[in-house]
Amino acid sequence: MAIVNPAADAFAASDRAEPEAVEYPGERASWLQVAPLVVVLLLFFGLPMLVVLAVSFFDFSRTEIIPAFIFDNYIDLFRSEVTLRLYASSLKFAAIVWAVTLVLGFNIAYFLVFHVRGLLFQIGLFLLCTVPFLTSNIIRMISWIPFLGRNGIFNQALQGAGITSQPLEFLLFSDFAVIVAYVHLFTLFMVVPIFNSMARIDKSLLEAARDAGAGRFRVVAEVVWPLSRTGIALGSIFVVTLVMGDSFVVRTMSGGQSASVVSALQNEVAALQYPPAAASAVIMVIIVTLMVAGILRVVDVRKELAG
Amino acid sequence: MAPSASAASGEVAVVGVTKRFGETTAVKDLSLTIPHGSYCCLLGPSGCGKTTILRMIAGHEKPTSGDIRIGGQSVLGLPQIERGTAMMFQSYALFPHRSVLDNVAFALKMRGASTADRHAKARELLTKVQLEKFADRLPAQLSGGQQQRVALARALITNPRVLLLDEPLSALDEYLRLRMRGELRRVQKELGITFVHVTHTQLEAIAVADTVVVMAQGHIEQAASARDIFVAPRNAYVARFVGGQNVLSGSVESVMNGVAAVAGKNGVRYAIPVGELRPMRGSPLWGSIRRDRVAIEKVAPGAKPTTGLNAVVGEVHTLENQGSYVKVTLDLADSEEFVAHVADENFFAHPLDIGERVVARWSASDVKLLEDGPIAEERAPAGTAMATAG
Repeated sequence: MAIVNPAADAFAASDRAEPEAVEYPGERASWLQVAPLVVVLLLFFGLPMLVVLAVSFFDFSRTEIIPAFIFDNYIDLFRSEVTLRLYASSLKFAAIVWAVTLVLGFNIAYFLVFHVRGLLFQIGLFLLCTVPFLTSNIIRMISWIPFLGRNGIFNQALQGAGITSQPLEFLLFSDFAVIVAYVHLFTLFMVVPIFNSMARIDKSLLEAARDAGAGRFRVVAEVVWPLSRTGIALGSIFVVTLVMGDSFVVRTMSGGQSASVVSALQNEVAALQYPPAAASAVIMVIIVTLMVAGILRVVDVRKELAG
Repeated sequence: MAPSASAASGEVAVVGVTKRFGETTAVKDLSLTIPHGSYCCLLGPSGCGKTTILRMIAGHEKPTSGDIRIGGQSVLGLPQIERGTAMMFQSYALFPHRSVLDNVAFALKMRGASTADRHAKARELLTKVQLEKFADRLPAQLSGGQQQRVALARALITNPRVLLLDEPLSALDEYLRLRMRGELRRVQKELGITFVHVTHTQLEAIAVADTVVVMAQGHIEQAASARDIFVAPRNAYVARFVGGQNVLSGSVESVMNGVAAVAGKNGVRYAIPVGELRPMRGSPLWGSIRRDRVAIEKVAPGAKPTTGLNAVVGEVHTLENQGSYVKVTLDLADSEEFVAHVADENFFAHPLDIGERVVARWSASDVKLLEDGPIAEERAPAGTAMATAG
């Protein structure tokens, strides 16, 4: 069989033509449209970042901050063993929470998109996922304490059911409690972007894969997962940056036993040691930016959003 | 593994299948046999259940009751991979994240073929559809017609015994649609496998199919050869839907020599051949006359046209030049649209204008009896003509 399309070559040729730089009439309007955001970002993000960067090179004593240009703050930071431990701890939490929220988020989104029939029901269940967000972060997190505590509901239930004879100690004020709270707080940030990507997958692609002989798991692995990459990447960015930037959850839920980079930084701020805190913040920003860049390198979010 | 086309028969039998979606019944107790190696078109308006039948054959839907057999074996509950079917989707459903080559090779990957093997086979098929130089592109970088050929190559890579096509041409422009429907027919002949093609376009069905199945609201109105569907529709629905026919209706006045004289609502009288039947006086009767067997004559202003049997008078409502003929639509005061296809040389020898009064005539021998409603007979039934059509 030979099916010829004379338009094919013409199409191929036009496809290769590079668009030339043209000034579009709407260009000025576009700049005006982004201007308010640019102003806000420059004033409230760009400028403070520059101040932090400048302060990180300052000298300090017990009582004052001395404008200077010294690298001592950075040198101290890199020499300290504590820094390494804090980053290891924060990265460990970020990795575990990322993995757990990814598994949960992918499955919840998959269920909502492909198993729930009827748009209304789908939207209803989706809104149900956001209900915990109607109260503040702090209340949601604190409410784990009476649940997981030594004499908490969970331990009492376990003992009442005869599963354990003694209360489980690791439930609260432990790494476990920190991870539970993180997962609870951040899973939705994974669900929403993945749901968004999945909802755009043409259902006939799944049927085409099944038609070609793919089983249930092959369909997910070959079609759903690769086409959800944008959502997975965006969700990962949310979760990783939120965990890396946290101090409150780790301090509260570990009962002060664990610390994060940011909680150490807060201690320095509380002690009015601004220059080392600024240096620590600068390094933190660089590391998180590198992590985000790494995620974006794996998944070209911009390209996939445009397509 | 994929059954080879020669070993396994691609006869598709739909046996008493009913499919309900909640409250609505999409397919009602439908039976249909599509012989091995034939090209069958399921034709009907949207919502008539034609796509549901296709999806049940493919295994993407389960019948509520009834059986689906391919090559004599029931395939109910079998996964797609064991049915020997392949489906071409309406929107092509090409995987947007895979190259053209990987799209075509996908089914072989699912069957565990090595990369080298499946890419070799996929390249072979791409060469057949003349897309080998686009192998490394993504589907979005191809035109609609090229995507359609990729979809065809992807469906054929497992050597299916039945190819199921869901509105395969609807996303193409007119030019490509006409080319591709010829190609589909040629590919089917070349491979000798069964094609089941769903469409809502009458001319597409008639152009490609051996058998056309005209459907309405979940049941079959007529299943017959493409030619019979066009020239001998079984009832008014098929005649109207397939087009090319005018439907005549009225009540019987008299029957003589196997021809019934029928009085229409508008005072026009038709002759409808009834064969052995003896319809009762006053009973309703339907017939059809091909549009291209109707002759049009102008009526001079003020003149009273002679109207005997098989003639209607009306005003020209619309004129459409179709190239080899002109489609003349008449306004007949009360009855439904009446259309004549006048050969171009005849029309342009005596051109008409919109609003002109004309008389349309035809020969009684070109009128076909339609089976709508029971034909009340005067005596005991003389034959079983009712039950045999289709």
